[in-house]
Amino acid sequence: MRVTVGMGSCGIAAGAQKTWNVLEHCFKEQGISLSVEQVGCIGMCFNEPIVEVITDTDHFYYGKVNGEMAAEIVEKHIKGGVPVEEYLIPEEEMEFLTKQTRVALRNCGIIDPEKIEEYIGRGGYQGLEKVLTTMTPQEVIEEIKISGLRGRGGAGFPTWFKWNAAHESPGEEKYVICNADEGDPGAFMDRSLLEGDPHAVMEGMMIAAYAIGANHGVFYVRAEYPLAIQRLEKAMAQAREKGYLGQNILGSDFSFDLEVKAGAGAFVCGEETALIASLEGERGMPRLKPPFPAQRGYWQKPSNINNVETYGNVPWIIREGGKAFAAMGTDKSKGTKVFALAGKVKHGGLVEVPMGMTIREIIFDIGGGIKDNREIKGVQMGGPSGGCIPKDLLDTPVDYESITKAGAIMGSGGMIVMDETTCMVDMARFFMNFTQEESCGKCVHCRIGTKRMLEILDRIVEGKGREGDIELLEELGQGIIDGSLCGLGQSAPNPALSTIAQFREEYNAHIYEKKCPAHKCKPLLTFTIDEDKCTGCGACAKKCPVDAIRGEKKQPHEIDASLCTRCGSCEATCRFDAVHVD
Amino acid sequence: MSTFQLTIDGKVCSANQGETILTVATRNGIEIPTLCYHPSVAIYGACGICLVEADGNPKLLRACATEAREGMVVNTKSRRAEQGRKLALELLLSDHRGDCRPPCVEACPAHTDCQGYVGLIANGEYKEALKVLKEIVPLPASIGRVCPHPCESACRRKLVEQPLAIAQLKTFIADLDLADENPFLAEKAPSSGKRVAVIGGGPAGLTVSHYLARYGHDVEIFEAMPKAGGMLRYGIPQYRLPKEVLDQEIALIEAMGVRIHCDTRIGKDILFEDLEKQYDAVYIGIGAWKSAPMRCKGEESQGVLGGIDFLIDVAQRKPVAMGRRVAVVGGGNTAMDACRTAMRLGAEKVYVLYRRTRAEMPAEEIEIVEAMEEGVEFKFLVAPTEVLSKDGKVTGIKLQKMELGEADASGRRRPVPIEGAIETLELDTVIAAIGQKVVTDGIPVALTDWNTIAADEHTFLTDRKGVFAGGDSINDGPGIAISAIAHARQGADIIDSYLKGDMVPYSKPYIVTRQDLTEEDFLDRAKIPRAIMAHLSPEERKRNFKEVNFGFTEEQAKEEASRCLECGCADYFQCKLIHYGQQYHVDPQRFSAEPRRRKSVAVNDYIEYCAEKCILCGQCVRVCEEVAGKGVLGLVHRGFETLVNTEFCKTLELTECLSCGRCVDLCPTGALMETWVGKKRVPLKENNIYPSVFPKCADR
Repeated sequence: MRVTVGMGSCGIAAGAQKTWNVLEHCFKEQGISLSVEQVGCIGMCFNEPIVEVITDTDHFYYGKVNGEMAAEIVEKHIKGGVPVEEYLIPEEEMEFLTKQTRVALRNCGIIDPEKIEEYIGRGGYQGLEKVLTTMTPQEVIEEIKISGLRGRGGAGFPTWFKWNAAHESPGEEKYVICNADEGDPGAFMDRSLLEGDPHAVMEGMMIAAYAIGANHGVFYVRAEYPLAIQRLEKAMAQAREKGYLGQNILGSDFSFDLEVKAGAGAFVCGEETALIASLEGERGMPRLKPPFPAQRGYWQKPSNINNVETYGNVPWIIREGGKAFAAMGTDKSKGTKVFALAGKVKHGGLVEVPMGMTIREIIFDIGGGIKDNREIKGVQMGGPSGGCIPKDLLDTPVDYESITKAGAIMGSGGMIVMDETTCMVDMARFFMNFTQEESCGKCVHCRIGTKRMLEILDRIVEGKGREGDIELLEELGQGIIDGSLCGLGQSAPNPALSTIAQFREEYNAHIYEKKCPAHKCKPLLTFTIDEDKCTGCGACAKKCPVDAIRGEKKQPHEIDASLCTRCGSCEATCRFDAVHVD
Repeated sequence: MSTFQLTIDGKVCSANQGETILTVATRNGIEIPTLCYHPSVAIYGACGICLVEADGNPKLLRACATEAREGMVVNTKSRRAEQGRKLALELLLSDHRGDCRPPCVEACPAHTDCQGYVGLIANGEYKEALKVLKEIVPLPASIGRVCPHPCESACRRKLVEQPLAIAQLKTFIADLDLADENPFLAEKAPSSGKRVAVIGGGPAGLTVSHYLARYGHDVEIFEAMPKAGGMLRYGIPQYRLPKEVLDQEIALIEAMGVRIHCDTRIGKDILFEDLEKQYDAVYIGIGAWKSAPMRCKGEESQGVLGGIDFLIDVAQRKPVAMGRRVAVVGGGNTAMDACRTAMRLGAEKVYVLYRRTRAEMPAEEIEIVEAMEEGVEFKFLVAPTEVLSKDGKVTGIKLQKMELGEADASGRRRPVPIEGAIETLELDTVIAAIGQKVVTDGIPVALTDWNTIAADEHTFLTDRKGVFAGGDSINDGPGIAISAIAHARQGADIIDSYLKGDMVPYSKPYIVTRQDLTEEDFLDRAKIPRAIMAHLSPEERKRNFKEVNFGFTEEQAKEEASRCLECGCADYFQCKLIHYGQQYHVDPQRFSAEPRRRKSVAVNDYIEYCAEKCILCGQCVRVCEEVAGKGVLGLVHRGFETLVNTEFCKTLELTECLSCGRCVDLCPTGALMETWVGKKRVPLKENNIYPSVFPKCADR
């Protein structure tokens, strides 16, 4: 019997450390000869902390396990042999996992990321061995080409092409770099992979290094991922010990080592040339392309930069063959993609599916549909660089071309589900606020343009929108896309432009009627008391922080709109559903 | 090196391997705007002004950073490229805080370079100051004496103590030049062979003639009165503007080759249509010479004079039908001129009757004060209802007393009659100085609803081909002299372009100004009172026509001029940002953005950094690092909040700064400038007054 606890950052945030402590304590106290094992995040965020009890014949998943529940599970199941039914994750929730095709996440939630033996035990480093003993660099590149792997960081650039370009570049000193900056708000695919299966990414980098002729590799991990950095360092130490890193790996001519460098809190350093600048100790600002990193990158040497998930797929592709990867997915988008499903969905978390599955299937079959069974409004894909796919386009398959055609981008995998309580204007403003703050400031169009767009959006949600604002946003947006130096600026207007295109009527309502149809933008809300329903109990008046509600006892009360701050306390307090928000 | 060919804006150019589109274009005489590019430092690609389009490429390309390729077809002026450029300029200007030009220059209807000539006076460069002044005003000695100086009302020195005495400084250098053996005469362009007829020899006519003569055209003025000068001669009394001064200035205009035919009235002595036929262009500057009637009973009595008619007769030394007890009706400068003239002609009692209060009088404050000092009695809130007469001669005036009621459309409170309150004055002369009308007899051009000449506001063209007009006679009617000069100055350029075959209308170039300064911002300035010009006391002056003001001494002028705060950006004429902004007709106002306040960073004695003008082009950072080898400057903070600063925000003295001035040289705006200690920095179009040597070296 084995007992595991999911110990990714999110699991820990949900209380997994406490659960772990209780289990450990119980085992020790009660003399049970088991040790609690840690595994990475399995991606089923809505059920964290997750405890698994694994026997030779059965595999039990317990969800939302707190300290008390853990103690109970020890008592009843581990000692008593009877599973605690009410704590087990129900069948339909397990579909969240069972309907996925886990390639990049193949080991996440299953192995202990801090034990290299477990990685090796599941086929780890077999890809590297195959490459070093039986393949030439060109053959490796060919295999990646057959697989059809495209960059998973968002751009979707054919991976083989990048590797080939770096391979072709002359020079002895070359680098492979892993972009683990993962800046999209709410995206955590890369984090989970690094925390749950760091060796997979490392092995992918080693294979890439062999293919292009590099002997050094660098992980650029955002500083906000301390656990990922910790697990990587540990994994690298263990890999060195076992001879997978260092001189003459596995007895071949290939020598390679890795190091980790932390970022410093800049979204823009996810852009490859800004990332390189940051690695070189310079201000994190993008550089002009061409020359591309494959020709002149880190320290002006040929460098290959790929995303965490891209590298994570590589060992599997080499082991199983490029054809096997290409057998999944669509014509132009092969393999699988990890998505971070979030928002108004019942079951949110990490989801890996073959390219080509429809958005509707992901949200409803895997995600369980909309919370509180509300009406879906759309899906935001691609984070601050992306766009909104409205509900009538939900049957769009997830692949690079189809998503772009639908007006969004695949991006790094963020998928935010929205219902009728999501205000599209507010959402556009949220993302614009983010990109504006994160702009490095080098180029005029992005630095000042995003500020101006944000000012207009701020005015609109405050009820100060003007005639011509939408047209100005469209003009500014297109201008910023045309003139920006890097991908941040070139994609910053996307959320605003796509919501204007798909949900113009919401913008019109904010500007001309000074109303927010989703009832989200506070300055545009009006709170009124329904005379017929109000019993005059006075509870709301007592709660009102600005004394805006007046009325006689047992008489219908009234809210003074000029004083009302729209805090919502009255609506929350009223037991008679008499407060209307419009 | 392999060479190949590509096409830029339709021109086939040769390029070498590795050259950028910008390098190739520049070599072939095709200008692509840049702000962050300089050949001496690494390519940066930040400003986005050099965007161009290339066939087959869906993206806009940065010309400074894109390698030229064989067979490329580049369009630097495509709609998309120009839009991209314009947007970048508008975004930059929307976050730019400063004054391209100072409030005084902006307030002047003719945009005379007040900061320029005042600064040059402070530096002792009187000839240069006069040259700058005469770029716009050909009659500075006269104008300095009579202009109500809107520049002074706008002068920011008033936030310290009092505005600069700009008009009097103008008079100072103008008088200096007139007293010189060789007064300034502008260079003339070679003869163009074109002829222009100017109707009216007043400020408008004289001005347009002077500049058309400079441009090489043959100009003739047709003046109805015995002498040229217009209202300057006939409407403004001797004690304000001595005619000898005016004569000298007109003589200088004639010295430019302008011929003046006096005693020539259009429609009588010469026909308008003949002028149209014989000349290549016609300019009408006939002014507004008819007194507006009071429209009250008894107006036709003997002893009722029009204000202008009165002044014209006095100017010509003709006998005037003025008695001993005079009332001047009106509240403008003409009324002041009339009442003070009446006093000087020996009237026993002079009244000024005005229907509102002193605060609402449009006349210049100094005129009201001096008139009161001279003994004129002002009666406010009275309106004439009837001129009393006996045997057809004026015996008195009946006045309705008024009080101020509600504000009218102009914001001024309307006078409202007080029931039954009547006052009667004993008089023998009533002078009506309540307005002037235009008389267009003999001039067959279309008129406006107010019977003024209809002239296009951008070209000054009337409805007749090649016929232009300006001054008191057009559109809104009578204004101040400098407005007439403004029309004529702009008109001269327009007519010049018309005569050259391609008329260019006047459009005001876009500039950045700031409206946010208050007294708080100037608390650190030492208070220096405004210079007071020596002048005759009321007793000394009230019965003669001697000039009241004496003029400034050189010491007074220099001290007064050095009070100037130098509001306008010293780099205006070198600034690339505003140069391109004007070229692309930007409108940053549409973003309704408030440029943010940035603190200016450490300076030293030679270099000043104004963070609010900085466009973060990075040239200063790069040149200090790559060329000077010192790396003193860097970018701090991120995104919109980025600033140029030294490490740890040290003052420049504490860094390795050499004061070599390369950063100042490269700065495309006025963010980095050199400071000249003890001298005004005077921004000038022709920068040949001050050598381009860096102050630190110059100091040695």
